Amino acid sequence: MDLSLAIFVQIIAAVLLIIALMVGNAVVMVYMERKVAGFIQRRPGPYEVGPWGTIQAICDSMKLLAKQLYRPGNVDLILYYLAPVLAFFPVLLLFLPIPFGPWLTALHINEGIVLILAFAGLGVLSNLLAGWASNNKFSLLGAARAVAQTVAYEIPMILALLAVVFLSGSMDLKRITEQQGQWPWEWNILLQPLAFFIYLVSLVGETNRAPFDLPEAESELTAGFHTEYSGMGFALFFLSEYANMLLVSFVAAVFFLGGYKGPIADGFWWLFIKAYAVMFFMVWIRWTFPRVRFDQLLNLNWKWLLPLGLLNLWATAIIMKIFL
Amino acid sequence: MTDPDKWLTSWRSLGALSVSRHDLAKEGLTVSAFLPLAALIQAAQELKQARYSLLDISALEAKEGFVVTYHFDSLDQPARLAIRILAPKKKPLAPSLWSIFQGAEWHEREAADFFGLVFDGNPNLVPLLLPDPDEFTGPPPLRKAEADLAPVSKLGLLAQVEILDPDFGELLGLAQVSDSRGGQA
Amino acid sequence: MTGCSLGFINPLSVLENPGTTAGDFYARNFEKKAQPGRVILNLGPQHPSTHGVLRVLCELDGEYVARCEPILGYLHRMHEKMGEVKTPWQFLPNLGRVDYLHPLAWNWAFVGAAEKLAGLTVPPRAEWLRIISCELNRISSHLLWWGAFVMDLGGFTPILYAFEEREKINDILQIITGSRLTMANFRFGGVCADGDARFFKLIQEFIPYLRERLKMYQGLVTDNVILRRRLEGVGPIDVDLCQRYGATGPILRAAGLPRDLRVDYPYGYYDQVELTIPTGPVNDSFGRYLVRLAEIETSLSIVERALKVIPDGPIIMEKAPKVSWKLPAGESYMAVEGARGQINVHLVSDGGKTPYRVKLRAPGFSNLSLFAEAAKGTLLADAIAILGSLDLVIPEIDR
Repeated sequence: MDLSLAIFVQIIAAVLLIIALMVGNAVVMVYMERKVAGFIQRRPGPYEVGPWGTIQAICDSMKLLAKQLYRPGNVDLILYYLAPVLAFFPVLLLFLPIPFGPWLTALHINEGIVLILAFAGLGVLSNLLAGWASNNKFSLLGAARAVAQTVAYEIPMILALLAVVFLSGSMDLKRITEQQGQWPWEWNILLQPLAFFIYLVSLVGETNRAPFDLPEAESELTAGFHTEYSGMGFALFFLSEYANMLLVSFVAAVFFLGGYKGPIADGFWWLFIKAYAVMFFMVWIRWTFPRVRFDQLLNLNWKWLLPLGLLNLWATAIIMKIFL
Repeated sequence: MTDPDKWLTSWRSLGALSVSRHDLAKEGLTVSAFLPLAALIQAAQELKQARYSLLDISALEAKEGFVVTYHFDSLDQPARLAIRILAPKKKPLAPSLWSIFQGAEWHEREAADFFGLVFDGNPNLVPLLLPDPDEFTGPPPLRKAEADLAPVSKLGLLAQVEILDPDFGELLGLAQVSDSRGGQA
Repeated sequence: MTGCSLGFINPLSVLENPGTTAGDFYARNFEKKAQPGRVILNLGPQHPSTHGVLRVLCELDGEYVARCEPILGYLHRMHEKMGEVKTPWQFLPNLGRVDYLHPLAWNWAFVGAAEKLAGLTVPPRAEWLRIISCELNRISSHLLWWGAFVMDLGGFTPILYAFEEREKINDILQIITGSRLTMANFRFGGVCADGDARFFKLIQEFIPYLRERLKMYQGLVTDNVILRRRLEGVGPIDVDLCQRYGATGPILRAAGLPRDLRVDYPYGYYDQVELTIPTGPVNDSFGRYLVRLAEIETSLSIVERALKVIPDGPIIMEKAPKVSWKLPAGESYMAVEGARGQINVHLVSDGGKTPYRVKLRAPGFSNLSLFAEAAKGTLLADAIAILGSLDLVIPEIDR
């Protein structure tokens, strides 16, 4: 068989698997979010549908599928319907370079992290389009916030990842994983604790999750950029939010937590365990902290995370020049 | 200045129509006075300077006209008092206290909603609690039928009253008239 | 800006030409004074942070609130008219519905006004029962405010903790009021039901329990750095502003004045209770937050004191007024310290079957009226925080 055809078939199969992963992830995350929220708030969470309420998320998605698509008057039809689709599909590409196991990478490319960061920037475009096309002032304000926030938080995120790239001398996600060992003390998190911290903060900002959920701050902007979406339009935003969370958690796992490597046997299970641990952290802080104000959010970014990231990068570079 | 007697003196000099002393425990007020419409602003200004704040504006419709009661309380010690005006039925126009107590705007709008009073100087005299004029065209809801109206003298607003203005006394049907108008009784 | 090539209507285009937006009477009225190029944002009457049906029109300059105006009346029920067409007895249940968070204070204000007017005396046990139930009710009101306020700031969890305590208080108050929300157990000359042994036992258990929980809230919520950054220095309300708008209650106390009707005009047996009035160290939103939490402590100690001294005896006076009771002619003005400030009832009677005039002074009404001035020039998020810190209950404001 032709080699390019083989790669093509591989990518098609991978994309299908990734769609399945995204939907499955959303189901798991909805359940996890609601159960964790319930636990934090001293209530049972979903427990009626299925054993321990496990089917709740599936019922929710059925409801969203069956719901009427309500479109307010005076929206821009093309952009209004394009926005949720645009939120959903770029995320598919982002999972391609993630190494799930030693031989389990959908598309092995040398600059995997560049691809991820480049396409991750597309997500905010959909937020902007949704906010602009909805003909709603809350949406517009939410979109403006989304752009300012996501653009700002990409920078410390890149700086944090760059420090690890310096360390391993590669942008290849597989090589970065391979350079870390099986045991936790062999992971990059010990070499780059500050970078991990910066990454952890900025991934919350990047995915617009509480306490940095300014674009959809419900007490101020009702639901921000997706105020006017119902049914599947809303569901696509929802899916892509969880997919984005999964992606940044995967990246965190690969860069700082040893990727698919782990005690006893390497494999994709370790990657998933680590990624879901990061996601659990995001859920945990969402239900614990109040929301920051927008100027505080940007101050945190420009006055703390960015200088710290730069310092960390310089220190890494200098230490590597001297000792390695 | 939280001494009730001092307020009585001050109101007398403003040309009060009548002044009354109240039992704080029973009626919840120390003193009150009926002031002419023109003296209301001046009295409110004095109260503001003495660190009083406007609690509410309570209007009611009596036979002689609209009695609008302004309740004030001191910020420094318990000394609640009231100023009343009697707005005529035919032309229910009262001066607005908005320029002195900005909180009066809403209280006045409420009274305008319920009684159809007009407050001269209120910057935004549109319906507050009632729907906008496009939707609600009925009469002011707290206006009473002619038969249900009671005279002011029956409402107990004038406990231990001292009528200072003979015309006012005549209007209310009260005989007790003090001749030393404006002076200390 | 012009519309893009997709045939799209630019949402900003209408903002550049004020007067062209479709809106109701109030929006058009508000827009008359708007500067061109500014966004007019209509918060409410259905908006997550307006706690019901408050509507606030804002003129936004970027994210700054250049001007705003609360629009009331979406929950207006004309309680004052009902007071004029019903006998005092028939009007009583209405008082539980004016402010659903602190109904017993409204009960007390109206019942107290009528008692003053008619010169009724209340038996001691009833007075103490009133104090106990009213203070427990105040705690539950403050707790709900606390949860809802933190929710306004984006913290979802505390409200569920607050509700846990509220449930306990409701369980207690249900015993003597028979209801969990719109309580109306005050009668002219007493209260309608006595507390049994379980009632007093539950309160005894509740006081130390809540004290423990308050300590936990201090660590979990009050000392949270994000919460403090959101509140400190936001929306200062000084004494001058309070004076001009007639703001009372925790807002005035946070501004630094120890005014509390329970001390100034002691009604009931409050003169037999030692009361420390918490005042705010600062007059911003955080000061108001601290004052309310401190008031929970104060209320707890009042209840504790009341439990010690409550005597046995009748709970309602002999020959208490019946349904057809007529108020004697006269005027009375009763002021009660509610959870939100001064609740005043101005009762005027001409001796007829029904009161001649019932004026209900809602504390939230005056407190909200200063919002337009306090929120001027703040960020939208801060304006929401200020709105939350005023502790608004819309049914009470609209009456």
